[in-house]
Amino acid sequence: MTRWMLPGFLTIGALATLVLIVGPAIYAISLSFFDRTSLTAEPVWVGFDNFANVLSSGAFWNALWNGFVYAGVAIVLQVVLGIGFALLLHQPFRGRALLRGVAFLPYLLPTVVAVLTFKWMIDGSLGIVTIKMADWGLPPIYWFETESAAMFSVIMVSVWLWTPFVTTTFLAGLQTIPVQLYEAARVDGAGPIRRFFHITLPSLRPILTVIILLRGVWMFNKFDVIWLTTGGGPLGATEHLPVLAYREAFRLFDIGTGAAIATLSFLVLMVIVTIYFWAFPMDDRK
Amino acid sequence: MSTSLHLKRAAGRGMLYLGALILAVYSIFPIYWMVASSFRSAREMLTNPTLLPSAITLDNYYSLLEQTDYLRQFANSTIVALSTVFLTMVLSIMIAYGVTRQRMRGKQFIISGMLYAYMFPPLLLAIPLYSMFSVIGLNDTLLSLVISHLTITMPLGVWFLWGFFKTMPFELEEAAMVDGCSRLGAFLRVVLPLSVPGLVTVAIFAFLLSWTDYVFALVMIGSDANKTVPLGLASMVGAFDLRWGDIMAGSTLIALPLFVAFIALSRYFVQGLTAGAIKG
Repeated sequence: MTRWMLPGFLTIGALATLVLIVGPAIYAISLSFFDRTSLTAEPVWVGFDNFANVLSSGAFWNALWNGFVYAGVAIVLQVVLGIGFALLLHQPFRGRALLRGVAFLPYLLPTVVAVLTFKWMIDGSLGIVTIKMADWGLPPIYWFETESAAMFSVIMVSVWLWTPFVTTTFLAGLQTIPVQLYEAARVDGAGPIRRFFHITLPSLRPILTVIILLRGVWMFNKFDVIWLTTGGGPLGATEHLPVLAYREAFRLFDIGTGAAIATLSFLVLMVIVTIYFWAFPMDDRK
Repeated sequence: MSTSLHLKRAAGRGMLYLGALILAVYSIFPIYWMVASSFRSAREMLTNPTLLPSAITLDNYYSLLEQTDYLRQFANSTIVALSTVFLTMVLSIMIAYGVTRQRMRGKQFIISGMLYAYMFPPLLLAIPLYSMFSVIGLNDTLLSLVISHLTITMPLGVWFLWGFFKTMPFELEEAAMVDGCSRLGAFLRVVLPLSVPGLVTVAIFAFLLSWTDYVFALVMIGSDANKTVPLGLASMVGAFDLRWGDIMAGSTLIALPLFVAFIALSRYFVQGLTAGAIKG
């Protein structure tokens, strides 16, 4: 028993990894080399045809670009806002503990709930935002229905939902910086802005590197906010790779094309992550 | 001199409280609006909204429970989330413990495999899983959803517990084994009790992921009987008769367990996020 426990654990672990992760990933990639007209139809080997078709379609490049815009802008906003909120929550004031909890709440909401609540708030006739804007004499905005506003709106919802992740991790990092560093800098005459750029940011660089990586990966793969608000529309203005892959695989029942898009999006992500690791090496000694 | 310093300090305090107020309103208002709307009467929903509901009514909740499958969806969500948590715990404890305690080649493969699994687009897993499930006749079942959720929660759990077990000194178990414990006994009586904070964190995040999931449910579940709450709520919006009061009531009910868990266990949430961020 004693001798076999660890190997037993590891065998189960290896099996679970194979079945849950390695298997499906390999299967997904292999699906992208086949063409099947339906789920029950016999798959036909088509080589790289699916990839060629995807790469030569305008929809793919549009979706890739939209994905970069969506993920890029959302990360920048989340990081800037998150750092700002964390700095605020690091100051001593009454009710700070409570506000730290409150600032975390959006992160807990299921995406569906957040999206539905925003949709209700901006409802065309009864939403609080619509009514208030009309009261103040502002022109109505069709948040998810116009090409110019849709991308802005999906980014806003995403930023609201996931900024607390940055706030909380950055705040936890702030609490590890020795107070003496700040005192020494103050004695040397450094103002708050210099203290931020010369002490806070360098001290938290490792945390920030990881936060940006994780949030970037997740935002690039995020499907539900866009699907539930605009469905990729209007006219593909917010369609990114996850939505495109889903639409091909489960709405047009072209599993091969959907798998090819998902595989390509994973490859794109790997390239970006590799460059990121090269540009910002992680300190592994921690 | 000293008055201007006082003024400056007072202005600083003022800015601080103003910032705190903005952050509070920004974070809480949509959530408040959801809860408040769920308690408004149908008539009040159609009029110019006031900040506070003029009268609190449970009508929306009654109509939600009577006219939709909400209870069933809630039960489905609960079954899926609890099963996911249980299997995540069992698998990730075994893998993480095995990897930290066993000398072997290639264990780095398991750990880095977990890290890459973090980066998989959920759809890259959903598409093959759906095909596999439909081949073996498991499609459109709660079990298929649990398995799908495990593809996300298990890597997370292994990654987190690996960092946790790694820091736990081997001497603890060795001492227990010298005192006559078997390895399993040492594991169950010494290692696990000391790991409770890490285990709670993993359980919370597995629950959060499974409970809030929409993507996998959308792909895997087709029949009304097997819908989870996020899927059920989303399909209410497409319905002909759009009832925002009911939808907000359903949203409040599904968010409530998460808020309660957060109030009771907030330090584990923070710990999980930061450890994930530092190590992941």
